[in-house]
Amino acid sequence: MSEQLPAPDFDAQNYARPNQNWICGHAGEGRPCPLGPDAKGRCRATAECRPLLETQPGETKGRWRCTRSGGACESGPLPDGSCCRPIARCSPVPTLRVWRGRATLAVIAASCAALLILLGNPPWRNHFINPGEISGAHSGAAFAALAVTNHMSQNCGACHVAGDHGPNGMVNAALHTDPGMLDLKKLALANTAGPTAIDESCLKCHAGRNVHQPDAPQISCSFCHAEHQGKVMAATTDVNCDFCHGDGAKMAVSRMTPVIHHFADDHPQFRFITEKMRDPDTLKFNHELHLTGATIPKLPGGQKLDCAFCHQPDAAGAFTRPVTFEKNCRVCHSLQFDPETPELMLPHGSEEFVSAYLRSLSKQYLDLAMKENRTDASGFVEKKLMDLQAQFGSGEDLERRIFFSSATFGPEANIGTLSGSTRAVFPGCAYCHEVKNSTAGSPEITKPVMPERWLAQAKFNHAKHAGIACAQCHDAIHSQDTADIILPPKETCQVCHSPQGGVASSCAECHTYHQPQLVAR
Amino acid sequence: MIRFRRQLCFGLFALVAATTATLWLNGKFHALPNYAFLTGWALLAGMFVLTIYNVRKKLPFLPLGKSETWLQIHIYLGFFTTLLFLIHLNFRPPHGWFEITLAWLFVLVSGSGMVGLFFSRVLPRRLATRGGEVIFEKIPALRHTLKAEAEKLALGADAKSPAIAEFYAKRLADFFSGPRNLWLHLAESRRPVSALLSELEDLRRFANDVERGKIENLIALVRQKDGLDYHRALQLALRLWLFVHIPLTYGLLIFTAWHIVLVFGFSGGAR
Repeated sequence: MSEQLPAPDFDAQNYARPNQNWICGHAGEGRPCPLGPDAKGRCRATAECRPLLETQPGETKGRWRCTRSGGACESGPLPDGSCCRPIARCSPVPTLRVWRGRATLAVIAASCAALLILLGNPPWRNHFINPGEISGAHSGAAFAALAVTNHMSQNCGACHVAGDHGPNGMVNAALHTDPGMLDLKKLALANTAGPTAIDESCLKCHAGRNVHQPDAPQISCSFCHAEHQGKVMAATTDVNCDFCHGDGAKMAVSRMTPVIHHFADDHPQFRFITEKMRDPDTLKFNHELHLTGATIPKLPGGQKLDCAFCHQPDAAGAFTRPVTFEKNCRVCHSLQFDPETPELMLPHGSEEFVSAYLRSLSKQYLDLAMKENRTDASGFVEKKLMDLQAQFGSGEDLERRIFFSSATFGPEANIGTLSGSTRAVFPGCAYCHEVKNSTAGSPEITKPVMPERWLAQAKFNHAKHAGIACAQCHDAIHSQDTADIILPPKETCQVCHSPQGGVASSCAECHTYHQPQLVAR
Repeated sequence: MIRFRRQLCFGLFALVAATTATLWLNGKFHALPNYAFLTGWALLAGMFVLTIYNVRKKLPFLPLGKSETWLQIHIYLGFFTTLLFLIHLNFRPPHGWFEITLAWLFVLVSGSGMVGLFFSRVLPRRLATRGGEVIFEKIPALRHTLKAEAEKLALGADAKSPAIAEFYAKRLADFFSGPRNLWLHLAESRRPVSALLSELEDLRRFANDVERGKIENLIALVRQKDGLDYHRALQLALRLWLFVHIPLTYGLLIFTAWHIVLVFGFSGGAR
């Protein structure tokens, strides 16, 4: 449907100029004055004509003539020479263009005012420009106390050079950056991992740079630890590690590891496998025997000996508690040196204690007799000592057998017996320990060295792997030698820790940039 | 039309190609050091080119190419800059009051630009279907003329029809006195004018021959006024989106300048 609208005939007298800022106030009534408002929006209406004074030869006063376009008016000019038809003045109306300009100016003014107010007022400024929540470690009462201790600002200035300054200081800091604001080439090629001015603030509290390798390049703290990412600091990503470990030139210098981009791709085999490392512990232990041996008796509760009996998780569940004789071995391996008198047991943990105990056997038997309220205590002691003498000879021979017997081999005969279904009685120190002759008194037993953790540079959490059977990673049932390091190869980990396995496999899952604290017993 | 389609095809092809290339580059280089700085400068360059289109319009005498070409560049670069904006944000929402304000300014400027593009593609076509061309600035004068004609018909010395005069006073005086039904015209609704015309038709049914002639003239004037309101509403929409787009562009530029100051002033390179 189309209705006929008023024809837009071109009217030279009333030519509309949409680009002009002001239009005549009478335009809305359909009779705008031809002159229109001036550029500043002032009405320029005067009269329909400007009369012209004509003087004939010989005349002194002359006559005013109407000069109105379209023909002279009937009345003609007034005697004083002014037009008799004045044009009514109007209030010129601003066009939309002017209103748009005003709106633009208002937005500019509002933006500048808001920025000046918010950036000029320190408490508001810190809140306003903060690009994201600061981590819990760098906010709150604890950080405020540290800031006071280290003479630091408690707001943005604690880390940022411009943090304690107003707009002028911020502009000044921005103009003095390195690389500069417009130095695009340098900016593109800049080493963002290098130490920055912000690191100087970090080092006020975190003294020193505790890195995983002494010759590792200096890395900016903020390269890996991105702030303003929330209450918990954002995790380090493979990109951070790739900065060195993905760079062949850097790794060639370090001579430590080859180029590594991702655990699932080009991570090398664990060094304990490639270098055929052996457990240096001198303690003699056979995992296979303990887990599958037919002679291994049931535990007091009736259950079968398994991994969890010795390897119990610590409080956090990440690692296992250290295996100790008292908790894990004594239940089967008692220290009964005299099968006829099971109440007496050798002390564990010190060669000197064992020697002292053996050299005071008469007192040990006497104490036992007193404890058992025997009437003939001295006779009991004498009999026991004579039995031992008959079996082992002198006291020196007994001591030597206790230290050096190993039940299955060695120069001396067994002290007790391992046969039968009963729990093992004491076969001799050398059954488990490395025992050496010593010139100074008692023989010397090499202290077992059992590290609480292997692959100390890596993070691991047993609790997160609780759903997997121990044997899936630790091939203990095929290990007969203490020297075996029963850790899984890389491939076992990659089954899950890879894109195919679907479990996180970033560097930071296992490694930490900073030197871990080695805990050794 | 063929030229327009050719322009559209070329523009869309260029936009799709640039978007594909940029997304590929983003995937390849997003891990670069200072990547956010680089995307930021690219975004600023895009915003600069978009902004100088306004300068180009104000300097028509300079040989800076055709305004039509500039507009095409402005449109497609506007879409591309939105992609750069998302890449600069790493496709994540911003945090912090300053950055959220800045992001909202960008969204409002680009959003109003898209609304403006939609208006400029759709509304002129609609206007062409409703009467002849009307210059926006002349609409008040035309409305005044229609009002005067209607008043003369209904209330003039030779009107002599109390029924028409009463109807005019009750229903038409307000209608002719100013622009009406802005939102309904934008929504393409003709319900108000149809109701008015229906009432006039009812009046005509009971009028004598003289009155009938006047009513028919009034009906024509009502239709013309409604068409005028329709033109005003659509032409106003074609102009008003710029009230968001242009002023907020300047706000965006001011906030962007401070964003650059803050980014560099608070960067690790600040000394």
